[in-house]
Amino acid sequence: MNILNLFRYWRTVLTVGQITLTNLMNDGFILFAVFFQPMIIALLALFMLKDKGADYGLFVVVGSGLTGLWSSLLFISGNSINDERWNGTLESLVAVPIPFEVIVFGKNLAHVAQSILSMLVAYVLAALFFGYSLTLSQPFLFVISLALTVFAFVSFGLLIAPIFVMYRSVQQWQNAMEFPVYILAGFLFPILLLPDWTTPLSYILPPYWAAVALHGTSTTTLPLNGILFAWAMMILLSVIDLVVASRLFTYMLYKVRVDATLEME
Amino acid sequence: MHTLVVNIRLFWQGTLLSYIALFHWLRPVTYTASKILMPLAQMMFFVLLGTYATSASNINFYVIGNAVQITAVSGIFGVTMSIGNDRSMGTLPYLFGTPANRFALFFGRAFMHVIDGALGVVIAFMWGVLLFNLDLSNTDLSALGLTILVTTFSTCALGLLMGCLSLITANVMFINNTVYFLLLIFSGANVALDKFPLWMQTISNLLPLTRGIAASRLLVAGSSLESISPLLWQELLIGVVYGIIGYFMFAAFETVAKRRGTLETV
Repeated sequence: MNILNLFRYWRTVLTVGQITLTNLMNDGFILFAVFFQPMIIALLALFMLKDKGADYGLFVVVGSGLTGLWSSLLFISGNSINDERWNGTLESLVAVPIPFEVIVFGKNLAHVAQSILSMLVAYVLAALFFGYSLTLSQPFLFVISLALTVFAFVSFGLLIAPIFVMYRSVQQWQNAMEFPVYILAGFLFPILLLPDWTTPLSYILPPYWAAVALHGTSTTTLPLNGILFAWAMMILLSVIDLVVASRLFTYMLYKVRVDATLEME
Repeated sequence: MHTLVVNIRLFWQGTLLSYIALFHWLRPVTYTASKILMPLAQMMFFVLLGTYATSASNINFYVIGNAVQITAVSGIFGVTMSIGNDRSMGTLPYLFGTPANRFALFFGRAFMHVIDGALGVVIAFMWGVLLFNLDLSNTDLSALGLTILVTTFSTCALGLLMGCLSLITANVMFINNTVYFLLLIFSGANVALDKFPLWMQTISNLLPLTRGIAASRLLVAGSSLESISPLLWQELLIGVVYGIIGYFMFAAFETVAKRRGTLETV
């Protein structure tokens, strides 16, 4: 994907994002994925980790918020192109003179931005229901981590969406992909609990580095160089995701415009 | 006699076809992803979280709780979607237009999921033995099998009730996901019930699964069928109550939807 297109068509990105957000608010499943599921997971984790002490309140807030981000990315952003196909609008969208990936970027940006609310929901729950006093240790670094997390998740979504459209056999596994990433990314417990062979899998997942950065900056558990490394990994993986996504979009658009076979698969 | 044969056939055809349709005409990949890998991943997540929260010595508590809770994949998702999909796919008006026996029609939607859900729990217990060293050497396996069957039945009964709600709302995915995840909390699969405030314990005691999970834990610890039978009877009773409420709601929603002509508009 040409990153310059995001700046050139910034108004499109924002307009698509705005329309997507409006549509999302009317979808019951999305409300569940963004608000209810993270809230229930937060409630469960708060009960389970209660004996670990008050420090875990913030850990659960961030971790359960990340589960909301991933579920939203997998089920909503992952289907952002498929939705257009099912609604019969895909052909119209690829025919407009704006690069298609810019439109999908705007949609994914709205999905991920809305999912940030799941962290806020968990925060309110932990503060009100469990009476935790939740204070971010490094608020400035946390905000930067959050911004990079959004970028990394949106980029990852751009990779997933065309794969789900073109390779239906992959999309069939969508239901089974939710919890493995919760585990491998260490959202609510450290990956040290997992066998060593799974560690490389965690390292190639942007959600893992997002969890490292957000957990590290919300508490004082990670030194500055660790935080910087997590940021660097998020940027690196985002760039890789965007490059691979660009190839996938080119191939997908060929199938739509020239081959005209996308609808038949 | 003829009526009975017709109703049995209706029951069987309904149960079989709705089940096959649910898994996109029973493609093995869809089934494997939804019914084997997703439950395994969910079980691993909560077992790891639980042992991290407490200690590795409590692993059986989480393995058994989450293995039995897997029945809700069939009981809640499967059953609600079997009923809800009739509406979303546009086949419900035709079904309601037939003189078919509603009892056979309604309970037929759940039958296959009771068998399938129980099988899912057995698979989950196998994962527990293979991956988490769950020790079943002191367990009365036939009693555990009966417990699994009764718990699956009661969970499917709740699924039937939730499925009825899908007849009056377009947000069936919202309903079944919310109920499924609430069961993760309230059933005691992951948190001992005495850690909950009183109002949450009251809700837990009104739900299916709670007693089934407690009975399974006792059986694995070496208890006999006789000692857990009160829990099983209560679990069965809860299932029957939910099933009956669901059936009457199904009948009531059909009447209301037909009178108002809102079957496809909500």
